[in-house]
Amino acid sequence: MSNTDLEDDLRATLDRAAASVPPVTDLTERATTGARQAQRRTWIASGAAAVAVAAIAIVGVNVAGRDAPSQSPVAAGTASATPSAKVQSQVSPQSVAGTWRPVEMDGLKTLKAARPEDPVLVLLPDGTWNGSDGCNGLQGTYTIGQRGEFTATVGPQRMVGCENVPHTGVLKTAKRVALDADTLRFFATDGRQLASYARAR
Amino acid sequence: MEFEEYVSARGQELVRLGFTVSGDYQRAEDLAQIALMQAFRAWRKVRTADDPHNYVRRILINAYLSMTRRRSFTEAPTAELDAERTVPDPATDIVNSDDLWRSLARLSARERVVLVLRYYQDLDDHTIADLLGIKPSSVRATASRALATLRRTRQSHRVDERLS
Repeated sequence: MSNTDLEDDLRATLDRAAASVPPVTDLTERATTGARQAQRRTWIASGAAAVAVAAIAIVGVNVAGRDAPSQSPVAAGTASATPSAKVQSQVSPQSVAGTWRPVEMDGLKTLKAARPEDPVLVLLPDGTWNGSDGCNGLQGTYTIGQRGEFTATVGPQRMVGCENVPHTGVLKTAKRVALDADTLRFFATDGRQLASYARAR
Repeated sequence: MEFEEYVSARGQELVRLGFTVSGDYQRAEDLAQIALMQAFRAWRKVRTADDPHNYVRRILINAYLSMTRRRSFTEAPTAELDAERTVPDPATDIVNSDDLWRSLARLSARERVVLVLRYYQDLDDHTIADLLGIKPSSVRATASRALATLRRTRQSHRVDERLS
């Protein structure tokens, strides 16, 4: 039997087989319904995965919080090493917006000294900040990432000498920020706490 | 072209293609549905392709080849069949009447796909190679091997017929 004969027979067989297939009428509906159901399943699976991740994160934070030694008030001027992962609240320009008073700063022992101006730090939800170091007006911009990553720029400022509260040093050095109720903490790259602020009433 | 227009123009062709590669009517419908579902989800991309039908055909063939690689592809027979409740399979007639069709079922999935694309879909080797993601020389080699197997099977059938 030649190859051509076999090929001809093959064509005829395949044509006959194809012709034996009865017509299917609801293909469009089945395809669109199936695709939509599959898409819905994907959304549900994605949603469930997101919920699971959030639940694990919450449990993880709670366990970390329970395991960590309770933090006693630290005397002004002493550095306290706090794990940078201890982020208690979702932190964003909106959540940190407000006026903040310094409570402790790494290496600064004169936070309570008298100054011409109130040494507050004002964070605005539009990503800008201003305030005073006690003697000079301060300003700049800042960003907060999804996991609390922090960057800041410092604008021009006067250099009147007094017991300056180094907000600018804290903001420029900080790589991470954490918000715990009414306490705002800034951390360095190595996780060391640079400063903590309390929300001004 | 809208998705609905495509399905009404080419949907049945896809079922037929599914049947010629799989040899199973139910599986043919499944393959056509899988291909159309995937095409529907990416219809914006499919409709702008050079040849939307080729795009969907590729999905179907890949779905079939993936299906044959699964262990569950060869289904275990049930212990008993209720003859009154079985649905007539359109493949039954052709299976009973055509030894060539029976021989096709004994080829590997890839061999069968190559022969179907070449002799039923009348695609050239380059297009088949592109569709399967292999070289044209591999298409030629696969087709040649498959044809040789079919020829041998056919000759042995004829010898058997003469002897019986």
